[in-house]
Amino acid sequence: MRDRRLVGSLAVFAALLLVPAAVHDTFLLRVCTEAIMWIGLAVAFDVLAGYTGYLNFGHSAFFGIGGYATAILMARGWGFAPAAAAGGVVAGVGAIVAGLPTLRLRGAYFAIATWALARGVQQLALMMTLTGGPDGIRLPPFLQPRFFYYVMLGVVGATFFLLWFLLERAPFGLKLKAIREDEQGAKALGLDPTRLKIQAFVLSAIPTAVLGGVFAYWVTFIDPASALGDLVSDQALVMVVFGGMGTLIGPVVGAVLIFAFKTVFWAYLSEYEVLYVIILGAAIAASVVFLPDGVLGQLLHRRGPTRPATPAPRPVPAAGKAEG
Amino acid sequence: MELLPQALVDGLMLGAIYIIIAVAFSLVYGVMHVIDFAVGEWIMFGAFMGFHLNRLTGIEPFLLLPAVFVVFAGVGYLLQPVLQRVLSGKRGNPLLMALVFTFGLSLMFRGLAQTFFGFYSLSTPSRLSTGSFFLERGSFFLTVSHVRLAGLAYAAVITGGLQYLLKYTDFGLGVRALAQHKDAAGLMGVNAKRTSGLVYAIYVGISAMTGVLIGTILSVSAKMGPEYTIFAFFVVVLAGMGYLAGVPAAAFLLGIIQSIFLIYLDPGYTLLAVFGVLYLILLVSPTGLFRKGV
Repeated sequence: MRDRRLVGSLAVFAALLLVPAAVHDTFLLRVCTEAIMWIGLAVAFDVLAGYTGYLNFGHSAFFGIGGYATAILMARGWGFAPAAAAGGVVAGVGAIVAGLPTLRLRGAYFAIATWALARGVQQLALMMTLTGGPDGIRLPPFLQPRFFYYVMLGVVGATFFLLWFLLERAPFGLKLKAIREDEQGAKALGLDPTRLKIQAFVLSAIPTAVLGGVFAYWVTFIDPASALGDLVSDQALVMVVFGGMGTLIGPVVGAVLIFAFKTVFWAYLSEYEVLYVIILGAAIAASVVFLPDGVLGQLLHRRGPTRPATPAPRPVPAAGKAEG
Repeated sequence: MELLPQALVDGLMLGAIYIIIAVAFSLVYGVMHVIDFAVGEWIMFGAFMGFHLNRLTGIEPFLLLPAVFVVFAGVGYLLQPVLQRVLSGKRGNPLLMALVFTFGLSLMFRGLAQTFFGFYSLSTPSRLSTGSFFLERGSFFLTVSHVRLAGLAYAAVITGGLQYLLKYTDFGLGVRALAQHKDAAGLMGVNAKRTSGLVYAIYVGISAMTGVLIGTILSVSAKMGPEYTIFAFFVVVLAGMGYLAGVPAAAFLLGIIQSIFLIYLDPGYTLLAVFGVLYLILLVSPTGLFRKGV
């Protein structure tokens, strides 16, 4: 079953490689490029949210760190590829540094700690001269839509299949799920939760930052509002929840659906920016109540159990014991 | 240095407000194991209700507090079953889902507030905010406005009231039993559904009431929510999760950090400083300032 899904994903990936040959409209190609970027951001978000059970609202911070690192290094004469890779490294180190104390916090507190981190980083970018303050940084323009399509697809494809191997094939994914289900129990089985959580955090931060770097070079401009705003985390969260948490295909489905909605919404109702946020919030709350397994989970249940049923529900945790 | 006493006193008064927010926040956590991401939005809604009621009727904002409490406690009581439904879902990680749910709510509330109340920062006028005490000793001087003192008194009343409710009433006994062991409390005849509903209602009501106060002392804006959510969380983590006695110290520390940044440094760095302090404390002592948390 899993193999069939992997084959399916590879087929979709191969089909996506052919898109620029068929699509000549620049706007459409642009939409496709951004959709692929969001797939990557949603999948990376799910490593921590779906597999490990930790909500990382610092997602936007890592996206922005990657973008800013790329912009700053390219302004100093670096090439694009080494600059974007360096952005990934910076974010990876940042994830270790930030994760060390915050991942000791239980799930919910971790979520707010990373939220504070994201806002702190945004404030820092607004204040520092290195980042150009509120004006942001301009990058040398490189107007090659196809180049960016393939770079985005390459980064997201590599991320997706690497994560597929690590989370669905290698024991690593099972270890993370063990932490999600019961952190104390995982510890009793000899796992080192802190170490694993930090590994997951880094694994989620690096592709996010690289995508941030590609994004910055693509749009040739980055500022604290666009690259470090809440929207990156919020949108990644709604994509993951709507599509189906704890799987790799779910976030992809969610990203495509939500991004399609966003594109249509912005095309016709761009003056109602706040309405979009309201809909986003309502979509998050409603999918938790009505689609707890996401769109994907809902479809799979309709067709009958095609995979081993989800683990039996845990009894309501006793007092003093929070989620793992 | 002349401003230092002023910074400390201002910090203590801000801290008093944070105590209230944090205590209500941890009450809900104790009973329902939910971290409510929307706490800042309840504060914001309360602040706007205070502002608009005051504008329409001209009644002193402090006298409006009971009305705000009743309205928002009702809202909380009606909302709680939905949250309970998410929590008792048959899915693997209900607590995470509940967190996601309240996050969605907070996003929606913020958007609605921006739509209906606009983007501007407002302030609720109070007759108390014109007067103040002034102290001077050599080169040190101190201004304490009446409205901040009233805020301090409010904090004392609410803390005392909650203390009484939890320690000396049957309802409070039920709440404490529920926090200790949900199933056993149910077997002993505590109506878990009703008690959790009331606790959530009290929490929403208190948060909204505190919002009115924040609106008179500081300011009201549709985007104020996240800041207070982060502050509430900061106080609870710093105090040590589940260790209520640590809350006042943590809240005063937060207030003092904030007022020092306001007076001496750039207020724009406040959140960064808050995160920095939290980071260091967690690195040194993951169980909070007093090493008494869980």
